[in-house]
Amino acid sequence: MGQSIWQSMEKKGYSRRQFLQFCSAAAAAAGFAQSGVAQVVSAFEKKEKPAVVWMHFQECTCCSESFIRASHPIVADALLDVLSLNYTETLMAASGFQAEKSLQDTIKNNKGKYIVLVEGAVPTKDGGVYCMIGGKTAESILQEVSKDAAAIVAWGSCASNGCVQAAKPNPTHATPIHKLVDKPVINVPGCPPIADVMMAVVTHVLVLGQIPALDSLGRPKEFYGRRVHDTCYRRPNYDAGLFVESFDDENARKGYCLYKLGCKGPVTYNACSVVRWNEGTSYPIQSGHPCIGCSEEGFWDNGPLYQHLSTFPGFGIESTADTVGTFVAAATLAGVAAHAVVTNVRKHKVIAEVHAEEEKEQ
Amino acid sequence: MTRIVVDPVTRIEGHLRVEAVVENGVITDAFSSGTMVRGLEKILIGRDPRDAWAITERVCGVCTTVHAMASCRAVEDALGISLPPTAELIRNIMTATQHVQDHVVHFYHLHALDWVDIVTVLKADPKKASELAQSFSTYDKNTTAHFAEVQKKVKQFAETGLGIFANGYWGHPAYKLPPEVNLIAVAHYLDALEWQKEVVKIHAVFGGKNPHPNYLVGGVPCSINVDEVAAINTERLNLVGRLISQADEFVNQVYVPDLLAVASFYKDWAKWGGGLKNYLSYGEYPTQGYNKPEAFKYPRGAILNRDLSHVYPVNPKDSQEIKEYIASSWYTYAGGDGVSLHPWEGETEIKYTGPQPPFETLEGHEKYSFLKTPRWKDNPMEVGPLSRLLVAYASGHEDVKQLVGATLAKLGVPVDALFSTLGRTAARGLSAAIEVGYLKEFYKELMDRVKTRETSTFNNERWEPKTWPSDAEGVGLVEAPRGSLAHWIKIKDGKIANYQLVVPTTWNGSPRDAKKQHSSFEASLIGTPVAKLDQPVEIIRTIHSFDPCLACAVH
Amino acid sequence: MSTTGIAAKSKFANGHPADYRRVYVWEMPVRAYHWINAIVLVVLCITGYLIGAPIRAFYASEAYQQYWFGWIRFLHFLCAYVYVFNFLMRIYWGFVGNKYAKWNNFFPLTKAQREEIMDVLKTDVFQVKLHGAISTGHNALAAFIYFFTFLAFCAQSITGFALYSSMSNSWIPRMFTWIVPLMGGEMSVRYWHHLFMWFFVTFIVVHIYLAFYHDYIEGRGTISSIVGGWKFDKMPEKKD
Ligand code: HEM
Ligand code: HEM
Ligand code: NFV
Ligand code: SF4
Ligand code: SF4
Ligand code: F3S
Ligand SMILES: [Mg+2]
Repeated sequence: MGQSIWQSMEKKGYSRRQFLQFCSAAAAAAGFAQSGVAQVVSAFEKKEKPAVVWMHFQECTCCSESFIRASHPIVADALLDVLSLNYTETLMAASGFQAEKSLQDTIKNNKGKYIVLVEGAVPTKDGGVYCMIGGKTAESILQEVSKDAAAIVAWGSCASNGCVQAAKPNPTHATPIHKLVDKPVINVPGCPPIADVMMAVVTHVLVLGQIPALDSLGRPKEFYGRRVHDTCYRRPNYDAGLFVESFDDENARKGYCLYKLGCKGPVTYNACSVVRWNEGTSYPIQSGHPCIGCSEEGFWDNGPLYQHLSTFPGFGIESTADTVGTFVAAATLAGVAAHAVVTNVRKHKVIAEVHAEEEKEQ
Repeated sequence: MTRIVVDPVTRIEGHLRVEAVVENGVITDAFSSGTMVRGLEKILIGRDPRDAWAITERVCGVCTTVHAMASCRAVEDALGISLPPTAELIRNIMTATQHVQDHVVHFYHLHALDWVDIVTVLKADPKKASELAQSFSTYDKNTTAHFAEVQKKVKQFAETGLGIFANGYWGHPAYKLPPEVNLIAVAHYLDALEWQKEVVKIHAVFGGKNPHPNYLVGGVPCSINVDEVAAINTERLNLVGRLISQADEFVNQVYVPDLLAVASFYKDWAKWGGGLKNYLSYGEYPTQGYNKPEAFKYPRGAILNRDLSHVYPVNPKDSQEIKEYIASSWYTYAGGDGVSLHPWEGETEIKYTGPQPPFETLEGHEKYSFLKTPRWKDNPMEVGPLSRLLVAYASGHEDVKQLVGATLAKLGVPVDALFSTLGRTAARGLSAAIEVGYLKEFYKELMDRVKTRETSTFNNERWEPKTWPSDAEGVGLVEAPRGSLAHWIKIKDGKIANYQLVVPTTWNGSPRDAKKQHSSFEASLIGTPVAKLDQPVEIIRTIHSFDPCLACAVH
Repeated sequence: MSTTGIAAKSKFANGHPADYRRVYVWEMPVRAYHWINAIVLVVLCITGYLIGAPIRAFYASEAYQQYWFGWIRFLHFLCAYVYVFNFLMRIYWGFVGNKYAKWNNFFPLTKAQREEIMDVLKTDVFQVKLHGAISTGHNALAAFIYFFTFLAFCAQSITGFALYSSMSNSWIPRMFTWIVPLMGGEMSVRYWHHLFMWFFVTFIVVHIYLAFYHDYIEGRGTISSIVGGWKFDKMPEKKD
């Protein structure tokens, strides 16, 4: 400690020009106000850690829990060296008024220079009364803290696409952050996101001083550019058509592909099969459970989980597109058969008509 | 008379607001309010019961897994599915791991700062701290060098702003620890932060990830095959074994010794925070199946009026035992505000009637929380590690009796000391010690099964919905880290027709019932002295002793 | 073009015997398009269905020893390309081909076309009329239905290439990347792509039946027309 982030980058051999180039190019590309990030960067050069506030709204705190599982760097080092986490309801010492003061101090003293990390969705129904902190609605707090923020990161599926509380019928109108603030948001979906991915996004912004390159959904390409399926170690089994038919069957014990148990790996963008979870220990598929697509928008309503495709609405829990399709095709066949019968009757009439004509002629 | 508001209560999970009425420096009344709701009980309706574990798991990422567990049990109970014994063992390992991790994180990262003044760490002598620590523990990082290093880190850190430690109640007269003990605690705060991410790798092995590992109705998703690299094999099992030994060391050489060291300076907190006199525990760790609670490791039962000579049986299916009120909650019932409903008949109609935000106080509002109010035979009950231990103690559970007795003796306090803020915090540590012992047992049994290749992990007889009855109902009970958790499900034509959760923090943190009886949080605050009205650390201490989880409580 | 009777009726209303002539209706490119399309669509439906619901086909226990699922997918993608380019060719031919192939056949823009649709409905679908209009090329209703089929072709190609864009770096699929977020993720793209398959299955059933139906009831070589190109048509009515 004691050295600025720029100093530590300089030690690692980055030139100052490179450093600034990183910052502006990436920021501009992502549509971020250039000045905002530049200010953060200049803050890094001074002897102070960038100020960060972590907001909790409609969530389950699993994103915070995931974050503290990071292994490189471990979260203790990040908290001591990389950032100044001035507000987080999960870990901060102060409560009540003192906590609120920490938040207010941070946004006042670091105008345009602090980073906002958001965990959770924001309910917008009935004036936002379904999530209140300190007597204020989540919605109003979000507006207040994001106004002068240099960058906003939406943690997890809750903040980036609504997650479980936004599943049908979304009783509180849980809304993702990017729909509420008029600034670009870095979306880091997943339920929760992988710890080391979270840490990497934070360091990308705070240590490299860059906004990571984002895709059209605002997700860092670095971690959300590939499908789980593309780098899944069970992929050879998929291509070979070797599938698990039922949990713990002979094929499951051989580690075949989980596609037929409803694996959403082929439709899910996440880093699980490369980075893996808990310091590379495993990921859902490695433990024998199909991917449930937890980083995809609306994944709760893509169910049932163990089915390859969603249920067709209005036809009972077991009906897939195939059930409906088979039904329609069968009904068509029946219609065709009936039509054929009528046609045959009609043809007899026509033949009779022709015969009658011929007879008349003769 | 002053009304103090603490909102947000931090170092908990979720959004909790506490309002306390203080007269002559003592709390005379209190209001506990949960201020965030998601409506998951409504979202569950109409879905596939086999998916409910995943949805309910997202109730909470702190006690992640216990809801998945309760949900699987509820569905299995409804459909009459029994687990293969190996699956039951793996689930026990998952649950016990959760308890141990959650308790350690609670003690160091959520609770410790109520007792440990981090600012005084700079005044400590690392050598003395090391000697002290070594006198009660064999933990190999209790060296002068390690403590000196931590002290240096804290110093450098403080120079660039206090971050998460800013605006704490530092220097408040309620802090009693000598600088050396504070230094030990802070060093172990950092060590615990590093350790907790290790132990959850057990979840990653069997469930693919943590937070939110994967579960499965009818078993566990992971297959065991010691002849295969792509299954749970010897390497995976060895990893679990190593993590369990590490957990054993951390709990017994770091957590419990620190707990006792800190507690010995705060014995006056055995006087305050007792609150309710009734304790409930569902029992946990089936050894012969979920339907045989008499063979559980922790027994099931209820204690009334602190009478440890009698344990009452608890039946979650009896429509007269467990019921929820909404008299003080932002909901409506078709039958009106005065009634209470058994969860199978439960309703979740949210209706906010509180003050329009922004507001200063909830004073004057009959309804003041998004938590419902559960009661057992109309009694408010405390749940949690303390209740778990008391029910075991009162049921004559030998291990628990010995451990509790020895601890009380070490601290030189009577059994009554358990009924307090200090007792609750101590019980959590003891509970972790017991559970790490169970973890070792379960692991050994699992290895024995692997040896004999009795390793089926899934029962697929009732997997397909066409094998289900058109109507079914079930209940899944779990002892979660914070106490007694249950999910009640009704299934109709293959879909969820009703789903109700009654969660530990719902028991403890709920508002008053229709008879104006307080629940645990409120009851435990009454009678506590508050030294400085603008720094109510005493309120925080007692509330934290319950380890509140509000996302759980409201869901 | 339209006459008063079905082809089997050998006389005009005025009593003169009807003369038949051969008309070259379907030029070679239309026929080629038709059969390529027919074959490729059948293959796409079968391989697509298998992609959605793979069968158990274990002839080996190690992944490196077999690749059938990979081949199925390969066949799907291969046919997909053929199918799309074949279709593009047909669109081109809709502008340069003969009058029976022209694009305007497929839209009921004229009053005559709309009246014919009603007539075909009465005669061929509900069979409440014994004799109805007969077109030399597509009848107006069939043509209009082909229009919807072409829309479905487009939808299937767009969703298909959108799905393919995550597996290919080729510029064609890459053009469709933006479809995925627009439709709310790959899961829903896949869902619609899969559901559309059933439209094609249904179309094929009805279409083949109707080809036989027309041949059966009109007796002027409908089926052979899509092979050889010629249909029989009445000579214009002779004036007394
Ligand atoms: C009109 C004809 C087509 C039919 C009937 C058809 C049908 C299907 C079906 C049923 C699936 C399985 C979906 C699922 O359940 O996951 C599928 C998958 C797919 N189709 Fe098609 N499809 C057609 C055309 C195309 C075209 C033009 C493309 C363009 C490239 C295409 C690309 C794909 C891709 C990429 C997949 C996913 C394959 C995978 O999982 O690797 N399809 N198709
Ligand atoms: C597998 C599926 C098939 C598909 C997808 C298909 C599709 C089509 C399409 C799109 C047209 C319009 C051609 C154009 O104007 O460009 C058409 C016309 C035609 N097809 Fe098919 N076809 C199939 C199979 C068959 C078969 C098996 C037969 C005969 C046994 C047949 C007989 C005809 C005939 C006679 C026409 C001209 C019909 C008319 O007068 O409108 N088709 N078909
Ligand atoms: N209360 C609670 Fe939980 C626990 N332990 C739930 O069952 O924390 Ni989120
Ligand atoms: S994204 Fe998932 S893990 Fe994160 S807070 Fe939301 S529910 Fe929890
Ligand atoms: S297990 Fe899932 S992600 Fe892996 S190859 Fe199979 S379908 Fe793809
Ligand atoms: S369920 Fe989520 S954790 Fe990864 S493997 Fe699938 S995206
Ligand atoms: Mg409930």
